[in-house]
Amino acid sequence: MFETRRRPARILLQVVITLLVIPFVFPLVAMVQGSLAGTGWNNYFVVLQIAELPLFFRNSAIIAVSVIAIVYLCTMLAAFGFSKLRIRAKEFYFWLLLAALTLPEVVLLAPLFATATTLGIYDTYLSVILPLAALQIPFTILLARNFMDGIPNELIDAARVDGATTWKAFRYIVLPLTSPIAAALVVLTLIGTWNDYLLPLVFLQDPSQQTVTQVPDFFIGAFNNDQTKILAAAVVTAIPEIVAYLLLQRLFERGLSAGALK
Amino acid sequence: MSFRSRRHSRPLALATALAITAAALAGCSSTSSSTASGSATSGTVRWWGWTPDQNVATNLITAFNKKYPKIHVTFKKVPDQTFGAALRPALASNVGPDVYNLLVGGSGASATIFGSKSVDLTPAMTKLRGSNWKTGLYPAGITDFTVDGRLVAAQVGKVAAGFLWINKDLFDKYNLTPPKTMSEWVSVCKTFRSHGLGCFKEGVDAAGFEVDTLHSIADSIQPGWWTKVIAGKAKWTDSTGVKMWQVWKQLDTNGILDPGALGIQQYPDANNAFLAGKAPMVQMGTWYRQYTSKPNLAAALSAAGVPSDTKQITMVPIPFPDVAGSGNTPGLFGDPDYALAVNKKSKNIAAATTFALWVSSTKEGQQVIANNLDEDPVLESVGADVSKLPLVDVAVQTPYLNTLAKQGGNVTQPRLANISPLLDESIKNAASTVLGGQASPAQAAATLQSSAK
Amino acid sequence: MNRSVRTSGFIWILPALVVSVGLIYYCIGYTGFISTLKWDGVSPNQLSVGFANYVQVFADPVFWQSITHTVAFFLVSFAGQVFLGLLFALLLHSRVRGAAVYKVIVFLPVVLAPATMAPVFRQIYAPDGQFNGVLKGVGLGFLQQPWLGQTSTSLPVIISIAIWGGTGVAFILYFAAMSQIENEILEAARIDGAGNIRTVVSIIWPGLRGTTVAIAILTAISSLKTFDIPWLVSQGGPSYSTEFLGTMIYREGVPLNAVGYAAALSVMLLILAVTIAIVLRLGGRERGAVNV
Repeated sequence: MFETRRRPARILLQVVITLLVIPFVFPLVAMVQGSLAGTGWNNYFVVLQIAELPLFFRNSAIIAVSVIAIVYLCTMLAAFGFSKLRIRAKEFYFWLLLAALTLPEVVLLAPLFATATTLGIYDTYLSVILPLAALQIPFTILLARNFMDGIPNELIDAARVDGATTWKAFRYIVLPLTSPIAAALVVLTLIGTWNDYLLPLVFLQDPSQQTVTQVPDFFIGAFNNDQTKILAAAVVTAIPEIVAYLLLQRLFERGLSAGALK
Repeated sequence: MSFRSRRHSRPLALATALAITAAALAGCSSTSSSTASGSATSGTVRWWGWTPDQNVATNLITAFNKKYPKIHVTFKKVPDQTFGAALRPALASNVGPDVYNLLVGGSGASATIFGSKSVDLTPAMTKLRGSNWKTGLYPAGITDFTVDGRLVAAQVGKVAAGFLWINKDLFDKYNLTPPKTMSEWVSVCKTFRSHGLGCFKEGVDAAGFEVDTLHSIADSIQPGWWTKVIAGKAKWTDSTGVKMWQVWKQLDTNGILDPGALGIQQYPDANNAFLAGKAPMVQMGTWYRQYTSKPNLAAALSAAGVPSDTKQITMVPIPFPDVAGSGNTPGLFGDPDYALAVNKKSKNIAAATTFALWVSSTKEGQQVIANNLDEDPVLESVGADVSKLPLVDVAVQTPYLNTLAKQGGNVTQPRLANISPLLDESIKNAASTVLGGQASPAQAAATLQSSAK
Repeated sequence: MNRSVRTSGFIWILPALVVSVGLIYYCIGYTGFISTLKWDGVSPNQLSVGFANYVQVFADPVFWQSITHTVAFFLVSFAGQVFLGLLFALLLHSRVRGAAVYKVIVFLPVVLAPATMAPVFRQIYAPDGQFNGVLKGVGLGFLQQPWLGQTSTSLPVIISIAIWGGTGVAFILYFAAMSQIENEILEAARIDGAGNIRTVVSIIWPGLRGTTVAIAILTAISSLKTFDIPWLVSQGGPSYSTEFLGTMIYREGVPLNAVGYAAALSVMLLILAVTIAIVLRLGGRERGAVNV
């Protein structure tokens, strides 16, 4: 956006952005440094040698994929409904959903536990998947609704003139256009799910069901935490998220920009 | 574990849960019988605890299996801050642990709260040790884990605090002797600081180590007053109480306490600084003895992230100085550490009881505890054999450790057992406002008195 | 409003309502009930006290302190994120080498769990930490202080960490929104002789108003929910100087066993959140700029 026709100006911009980015890199460097302190790369070997590690990654993946699937399904249907269909008291329902955005997890635990035991899903993946999905859905609907508002109604009208049902219009016309918002949804839900510590801890008792956020706990001792290995574990567990973000980066940005404003 | 909630380093999470899940459980009254079920010599026992560390648990289980080869014990370690959060729903369900840790006092997995879910161990104790089963066990640990006349858990170890650990190498390097009075302490710290070192490092954090320091200060002013005021039999606004806050403030203004005490945490900050040789003095308890041993110290240093060739410190315990100048040397105060409870809903109550009692009340089990050095055994006939330890400096450290062991036998005051979480929070807040300058010692005493009511 | 499709769409939003509203509103109702109790969360004796907990909330100085902190947190972190996010977006839309790398660096903090970073920041801001080290290194040694250990600096530190973690979102939103500003308009402005600053102030910034409001809403939500950074970095202290509603609810509900009181605080938080959401929504609508 800044116009830089001359070389010194261009160099100046490069210097400015580099200086600005330093405070952002600094904690990341400190983190990696911390993970290499003491016994160096050995910290990573120790983390990678935890026998349960592949299992924990698998469990986290199962939970993340399920949450993403539920969130995707509920969000796309609801966003379409909110954006394109006639619903009595539509805005009321929308606000009902949005108010749920503001609740911190702190508030939800006891009732969630009561629900989980009543439904008989305590100690199963579902007891983690459902609340995580419930907490993600309001925000993703907010984004997806705005995104769909940007899709011209004429497209749908045209399809209906051709005799397509609402479902077909949704399935064959709207859905194919939503990949950017889907990417945003996947990245955001993945971040929220992958980093969650509390729900798996409380609702999954079997050690073989635990998730990657429990890995650092291996290095929290009765008398001392092994901070170096905790950080190494944190780096290792963050890698899938970073990879997912990098892969979906372009779509993610487009989805966010179209979803957040109009 | 040997001290209360000393750490909050786990994700957002650890948060939240505890009391809140509790809410869901209220009203769920357990009606299962407390008669032993299953075989006492075979079966699977799932044990949950925040302590001991995995290697110690493995040692315990291996030793246990020599006698009971058919009981398969698994240990699941849950960090202390999340322990209660995970335990509450687990105990309410039918898939909870067979054996779980409990502690005395407020904010963790306290016996008064979680004891209602465990089996009364009195009959089993009587069977194992006879009708006078209490003889030879640490009496405080029996009292503290008896709730409404039921022995809700079997104590495993005990710890004591009320003294300082110093880095003897640094003291020797600058020709210093351990301080016995406030003025000696001030001059020792001056010397250390002039060489670019810290002096007495302590964190005023949720773990509450400042409570130990305040207790020691109070003991130097008027022995016994602290225990009275905690019991509500004295007032925080007594002259001793005000004096205690004045001395606490002096630790800061006289340059004894390292700067930033309100922002550092005892674990890991103060701990790492001391073990790495940067801070010459800390207030820690008997559990710290484990780091006099070379392999333990090496492991702790690597965890602290310092280079592997860091010199191992020669640490020794010294009495807390008579900071008030009243001629009293503050003594030790102590509590039982964790205890093992048997889940009422366990399907293997008999085998679980066998394990809990073996660890807590037999010579073999207690010897494993003693050998680990982090806590003292509760069975009087068992002791740690310090003479065989791979100490960093045998000649220097042995006499100090022997003195400590003697003192540890004479502990009469409780440490944290009678301090409620609310009182603990009020004391911490008073300590913060005095150090931060928001309140004078007299104001802090008054605030504390009004909130203690 | 769209009238192009005449069939009722209620069935379409039903799954989301069941999963989200069903679960979460049950929780809200439950919390509302608990908030009328004096209860430690365990004992079978629940003492009904009506609105006593709410009366206590209003009389609690720590509650008002945490509200003040939340407001300060919102204002400063919003300003910081908007300023930095905008600057990064502008710079990366200009001709800069290695833009992709800068982009990832600025966004990475969003991906990392705050809990992971808490110990790192504790170390950076420690009395002998890297921040003081840097100050000393650049000749500002006289500014060194125990940042987390004094009430005057602890809150700014917490806010700085929040800005570090949140700028990535503001940046991505601005970056994406700027791509939509027509190049012709910019060219036209330049031909009219507008300089860089002038273009930003009179063309770009107004065009981003919708994004800015969206960031305001996101920041407001996260300010109200703030829990993990202040709790894990400074435990709400010293002397409650970094106490927020989230940390207060935790403190009362967990270590202090005042479950009923914590529930009353949760309800207050919810009421505040809904009020703010409505105000922002109405504000946004009046300007006609956003639909968030």
